[in-house]
Amino acid sequence: MNASNPPRLLMQGIGKAFGGVPVLSDVQFSVEAGEVVALLGSNGAGKSTLMKILTGLYTRDAGTIAIDGKPVSFASPGEAIAVGVRLLPQEISVMPDMTVAENIFVGDLPMKKSFGFRSVDDDRMRVRSRELLDQLGFGSIDPNTLMKHLSVAEQRIVEIARALAGQARILIMDEPTAALTEQEAQLIFKIIRRLKAQSVSVVYISHYLSEVFDISDSIVVLRDGRNAGTFATAATSQADVLSAMLGNTVGDLYSAGDASKVGAEILSVENLGVPGKLEAIGFSVRAGEILGVFGLVGSGIEVLGRALYGALGQLKSGTVRLGGQSYRPSSPRSGKLAGIGFVAAERKKEGIIADLTVRENMALTFQERYERGLFVSQAAESENAIKWIEALGIRTRGPEQKLRTLSGGNQQKVCIARWLVEGVQLLILEEPTRGVDVGARKEIYGKLRELADRGFAVLVLSSDVEEVAGIGDRTLVLDRGRVVGRFDAGATPAALMAATSDDPAFSDA
Amino acid sequence: MAAVIDTRSAGRRRMTSLLGKPWSGVAVLLVFYIGLILVFSVLSPFFLSVRNMLSIGSNVAFVGLMAATGTPLIIAGGLDLSVAAIAGLTGVVISILHGGGLNIWVAVIGSLVVAALIGIVNGLFTTRLRLNPLIVTLGMMSIVSGLSLVMTGGLTRPMMFPGFNVIGQGRLAGIPIPLILMVLTFVALWIVLTRTRFGRFVYASGGNAEAARLIGIPVERTIIVLYVLSALSGAVAGIVLAAMLGAAAPNAASQYLLTVIAAIILGGTSLNGGRGSVWGTLLAILILGTLNNGLTLLNVSSFWQDVTRGVVLMLAVSLDQIRSRALGD
Repeated sequence: MNASNPPRLLMQGIGKAFGGVPVLSDVQFSVEAGEVVALLGSNGAGKSTLMKILTGLYTRDAGTIAIDGKPVSFASPGEAIAVGVRLLPQEISVMPDMTVAENIFVGDLPMKKSFGFRSVDDDRMRVRSRELLDQLGFGSIDPNTLMKHLSVAEQRIVEIARALAGQARILIMDEPTAALTEQEAQLIFKIIRRLKAQSVSVVYISHYLSEVFDISDSIVVLRDGRNAGTFATAATSQADVLSAMLGNTVGDLYSAGDASKVGAEILSVENLGVPGKLEAIGFSVRAGEILGVFGLVGSGIEVLGRALYGALGQLKSGTVRLGGQSYRPSSPRSGKLAGIGFVAAERKKEGIIADLTVRENMALTFQERYERGLFVSQAAESENAIKWIEALGIRTRGPEQKLRTLSGGNQQKVCIARWLVEGVQLLILEEPTRGVDVGARKEIYGKLRELADRGFAVLVLSSDVEEVAGIGDRTLVLDRGRVVGRFDAGATPAALMAATSDDPAFSDA
Repeated sequence: MAAVIDTRSAGRRRMTSLLGKPWSGVAVLLVFYIGLILVFSVLSPFFLSVRNMLSIGSNVAFVGLMAATGTPLIIAGGLDLSVAAIAGLTGVVISILHGGGLNIWVAVIGSLVVAALIGIVNGLFTTRLRLNPLIVTLGMMSIVSGLSLVMTGGLTRPMMFPGFNVIGQGRLAGIPIPLILMVLTFVALWIVLTRTRFGRFVYASGGNAEAARLIGIPVERTIIVLYVLSALSGAVAGIVLAAMLGAAAPNAASQYLLTVIAAIILGGTSLNGGRGSVWGTLLAILILGTLNNGLTLLNVSSFWQDVTRGVVLMLAVSLDQIRSRALGD
């Protein structure tokens, strides 16, 4: 490549703040024509904000963007698409009841004029679709098939074809293999290599380090909204990239466990399976300890807690013992009655009842305990609410405040407080600090530790590697539905991340 | 120029923050109601009399019964469009059972059982099959009103039984019995909604069904019970209507469905569920009844009254939308 050629994409000094809180400061990011650049960083590092600026979803506060040497500024995704910047989002978004060809051209249907009326030019659309799919090496997909009859991987490929239909110069792929098997992932890699050959630039976002090392030419790491390192893939190692991603600044967020407080085994799980999601999972949690379970999106952490609690219905296979007794999860009620408290990942969707007050939200789980005769005793509810507002340090004007008006961290504490009643032995928390600011995170970690010290067994399932490494007295790593790592003493984030990346299916490929 | 913009936005902010207050819905209705009474008192000398007030009360009672029970159902995320049709069917069922030789009160109980069964079907279809309540109860409305016509051949059947007609025409301590029934229903539902476990489940189910399910609240059972209650209130309203008219007319009640739904929404209950109160509905019922009565006294044609009701409903829904946004939905 000629050194005088400007890079395909050059982002310089990019800054962005939300409500005064900087999420990106002075970020540099460049991609050459035909280059595959992996963009890495842990949750909240600023990857998606940077890409949203590039695709016109957000406007930048500072910095410049140039494509092929020409400065650009996108006010909307449409403008970005017009110059050939295309995003392939993590979630597959296709129209299942339309044909492959229609899905590819839905944003820009070819038109023709017949009898004086403008109508969709079906023939041209089919021909162009076939060309595009051929170009990707998937001429086998028939443009006339309905989208819903394709496999997930094939749908992905059609999405890529859709991005290319608009003459993509820069293609951003966000976790493109998250829902795919290894063989299917290989198909995506094959396409990326072809695109490279056609001098399309690819920004590749993935948590799977081995994938990244397989496919990328260079690696850009973000941490806390800043550049934390740029590497030529061939000349670096996974360890270097990991330490750039994670830094060494985690320690003080977490309070260490007290081994003397660890008591009897509360939960033991053997050979637990959920068809298609989890296989042969076994572990135990003792009173007074926090077991951290780390896994990436799709690894099975989003299912494990629910399976144990009963939110997935009757457990299909495996044996579970809770407090020394045999327990068979069948419904949330079964989990609740057996002594399990469950705090779901999606707080807004699955946790809070926004229009009820703090007092009402806290009492809802075991409402019958607040009844005096036929009626609910608001005094008893208030007493309970005030107790936990103080003990957990919930910032609220009082028990009568509606939950919707509390901050995320305080809402989360209310969701935890719901389960702090006699009879609950095990707390299962999914993503306990998702969408919670750093200050409140620290408090939640502290409170979870206090609850463990009081004798609760705590199971934390999270895709935030630092969180799991920080809070877990012991940790498990899940990947593709299996336990791929067990750490009986403190584990470093790098060790946990390495455990998922060691997936043989990828190293062999 | 800048100053102008500033005051406008400050005024708007004050407005939305006022509308965002939890009591604002009921307060606005109360002010509107009092205003309405004042206006009509000035315009018509007959309006502000005990006689006329009681007449409004007994006229709205039958609609109020259905709106009262419809309120918790909508709070819980349901909707019952079949309730007025059930009211029509009830009179028909009683008349037919009685005609078949049953005691009138046994016939009444029989009609309540029929209504409860309809409610169970509504509840099962919307919860177990997860069908949209709008579709399910719209279908049920058509089925029920169709059956009423089939059973009567479309004819009105006389229902002149002194003991029975008392329910619609009698008075207790000078107060019309239908009005007493309605007020009792409102009070009972208010207590249930604010003071019992079931009431909490109603708000939780409508506010966030998934969250409620995940903390072990019987969301489906709660909603089924509410559909049964709604159907029963339709039946009681039908009994009141038949007793009042001294006749069972298969389609006499259908025209009131819109008023029932209008009153609930006007009363501040959110169609998205999770929010609302029976007092709002009661005020809305009184407002709609008063509007009707006042306009009649002023000799406004009943066609115009339909128009007025529609306008009030649309204003109310717009207000609810602004309120939701102010609350940050």
